Amino acid sequence: MKHALSIFGFTILVSAFYWYVSLWVPQKRTEPPEDIAISQDLTTDEMVAIGEEIVAGKGTCLTCHTMGDHSTTLRFPDLDNIGAVAATRVEGQDDVAYLAESMYDPNAYVVPGFVAGMPLVARPPIALTDDEILTVIAYLQSLGGTPTVTMATTLEGQGQSVAAEQAAPVAAGGNRDAETLFTTYLCNTCHSLDGSPLAGPSLQGVGGRLSQAEIYESILDPDATIAEGFAAATGTMGTLLNAVGFSEQVSAQELQSLVEYLSGL
Amino acid sequence: MIRPSGLIAPFPKTPRAGMPMIRRCCATMGRVLLIGLVVGGAMALLCDPAFAAPQEADPDYRTLPFISSRVAIWIIAELHLMFAAFVLAVPMFALIIEYIGYKTGDKRFDQLAYDFTKLLSVSFSFTATLGALLTFGLIVLYPALTKYLVKIFSWTFLPYVLLFFFEAVFLYAYYYGWGKFSPRVHLFLGLMLNIVGTAIMFIANAWLTFMNTPSGIDELGNLTSIWDAINNYIWMPINIHRLIANMAFGGAIGAAYGAYKFLGARTLEEKAHYDWMGYIGNFIAICALLPLPFAGYWLGVEIYAYDQSLGITLMGGTFSWLFIIQAVLIGNLFLAANYYLWLSMGRIAGAERYRKFIKYLLAVITLCFIVWATPHSLVATVEEARAMGGSHHPILNVLGVMSAKNTAVNLLILTTYVSFLLYRRANKDATVSWAKTGNLVQFGIFAVVVIFVVFLGVYGYFVDAQTRIGLSQPQVFSVLFAMVAVTVIDIFLFRGAKKRGDIAWGKIPARAQYALFFLAITFAWLMGLMGYVRAGMRQHWHVYGVVRDTSVDAFTPTLGFAGLVVSITVIIFFLFIAVVFFLSGLSSQKNWVASPKRTRRWFRRAKPADELDAGTLSSDAS
Repeated sequence: MKHALSIFGFTILVSAFYWYVSLWVPQKRTEPPEDIAISQDLTTDEMVAIGEEIVAGKGTCLTCHTMGDHSTTLRFPDLDNIGAVAATRVEGQDDVAYLAESMYDPNAYVVPGFVAGMPLVARPPIALTDDEILTVIAYLQSLGGTPTVTMATTLEGQGQSVAAEQAAPVAAGGNRDAETLFTTYLCNTCHSLDGSPLAGPSLQGVGGRLSQAEIYESILDPDATIAEGFAAATGTMGTLLNAVGFSEQVSAQELQSLVEYLSGL
Repeated sequence: MIRPSGLIAPFPKTPRAGMPMIRRCCATMGRVLLIGLVVGGAMALLCDPAFAAPQEADPDYRTLPFISSRVAIWIIAELHLMFAAFVLAVPMFALIIEYIGYKTGDKRFDQLAYDFTKLLSVSFSFTATLGALLTFGLIVLYPALTKYLVKIFSWTFLPYVLLFFFEAVFLYAYYYGWGKFSPRVHLFLGLMLNIVGTAIMFIANAWLTFMNTPSGIDELGNLTSIWDAINNYIWMPINIHRLIANMAFGGAIGAAYGAYKFLGARTLEEKAHYDWMGYIGNFIAICALLPLPFAGYWLGVEIYAYDQSLGITLMGGTFSWLFIIQAVLIGNLFLAANYYLWLSMGRIAGAERYRKFIKYLLAVITLCFIVWATPHSLVATVEEARAMGGSHHPILNVLGVMSAKNTAVNLLILTTYVSFLLYRRANKDATVSWAKTGNLVQFGIFAVVVIFVVFLGVYGYFVDAQTRIGLSQPQVFSVLFAMVAVTVIDIFLFRGAKKRGDIAWGKIPARAQYALFFLAITFAWLMGLMGYVRAGMRQHWHVYGVVRDTSVDAFTPTLGFAGLVVSITVIIFFLFIAVVFFLSGLSSQKNWVASPKRTRRWFRRAKPADELDAGTLSSDAS
């Protein structure tokens, strides 16, 4: 019993020591990024201020990039003076186009001496919206240059953002049933359910022809596989779905119920 | 090397048949059924369509009255993990030790393997109970997340439950069947226990690794391939890392059991036996610890390959300071392991000639420890930061980068290996004709590898990031080469060696046993800390990039808070382990019998009643 008590005391002592060690290091509580309201009539200064906040917060840019560190041990390019050098990085690209490509398609060009690996910031987990990316570009331009971008600027790559809450089944709510979705998103204008030919292939018996994964793909990337005899309609479904705001509005549960509904046909 | 050739006396007897076989079988089956019911019930609840499709009004989270949901789940999950690691590790080395005993015919190994296995029975029940508690906790406190994970992994539940059932059967057959089956059948049972246990761990690892590096799903989180979801980026690295880490952890807890029994031993032969047990447990722990950084390196590479920002959050961002704490822990592990070895050399005749080297080994270990624990930036006041010209110390900053740290870790591993080597040859003199050449070649290999490792470390300061990252691989492989090459030479060098004396097992100071406890506690703490960072690096995501944490606990806590939770978990774990040690030790206790003194006292107290009864009887009779 005496040994057992001394061993237990020793355990508490060692554990307490390690807790003490964990108190030596900097104590920082990291909060989840907050959504910032962005209106379409922001001034340049307001865009720069919001962009700076996003770079340090939701964008998690400073996890990898530095500001003003010119040592040789960097793993990612330093962003100090990026506003001045952005236009010189890729021939034929101005600073706005370069910065936009750096975010929508970051590995298209990699600064010499560095390795590819920057995530697509418009996709989860970072999931910046197009408006947020515009403000980030304004801020980056201001680092050594003059911001020229406005909220009305159109960038190549826009429209691929997937909002984080949309990708999070936990946060999604207000599900509608599959048949309602089928008409809400105008699927019935091009696809019949009784075999009759419309602009797109009939969905009668589609569950027997396609797996659930293939149905998912047909909805999310309609042009990945074109049904035989419908080559002329390539691009139509994607355009229509964008027009009705499908990707912005549909929740994960709704999409799943739609797929399950179709696979049961 | 691990054979107790100098054992003073036969091993203490370990009565195995405290309970008749049939009763033990019934008790075992009862336990299996109980565990099966608990786990099966949890799984059935998860698979219930009513659960899989909750009503819209179902909350995403629920809270507890006195403790946050996250901390409750954190502690339960970590306790479950610690017990699971132990339950999976012990059969691995018990089987190896039993096999050595079978091949050499040395019964002491068989006895040792049985001593380790005795710890399994109670630990298994703890593991299953904590696992069920974790499952229920997740269902109640995190219903939406659990529902999502169930949707993804529902196909894995049935094989998991079946494997769990088989594990229970093999485990109890292995334990209770000790000496009851032919050695080959018994070894086969042990092998099956290990295979089934490993398969269970692999399935559970798929669930947790998916949360960090989700694969096999589309952008909206819907499953597209169950195999891809299982075989995600870090699944196999975690599997391998955990297999090795479990061995290290299990060995350390086994050694702690040996130390506990040693301190309570009353006879010399008991001390000898438990000293040997502690030594073997520590040997297993350190052997597994040495390759662990390499497995961790692979894990890190895969995290970076999945998402650079996830890797940088882990190593260079929010959690970079956690690795300073980790450095303190691992540095302590190496210090304690070496200290134990140096104390252990005191029981070997002939080891005195190597004692003079200990101070140099200690100096190298301390130096490497200091370099490894040097932070890149310092916590400083504004005045101090101004004086330094930033948060980086003008001199120490040089030691706080990976080039220096990788070099320090590799030298630390090599130094510990040298301690083992000295221990191994402590009481031996090589008699082969090429002994001098062999020693020179061994020394040459060490010297070349040390110079090479240091050169690469320094070279890393003068090259770009991409080249520098690549330098760690030749450092690691050169150290591995040195250890393998020197061991092979050593085996042949000391074949037929002349012995200076035997190992006097049991002749070791009590502080060596506390070094073993220190190792076990440090291993447990390290496991808790790394478990925290594995989950914590997801930050405000339950499933990284897919299911966002929208609870009140979505923030990442301070490292001090995490340290407190880990400390509390470790203390609870060792309280539970004390129960395991106590209950496991009961099987070797003598059966209870009323002592004559107690019997006499009872009779004295009972006398009046007896007399009364006797009087009544006699009067009735009359």
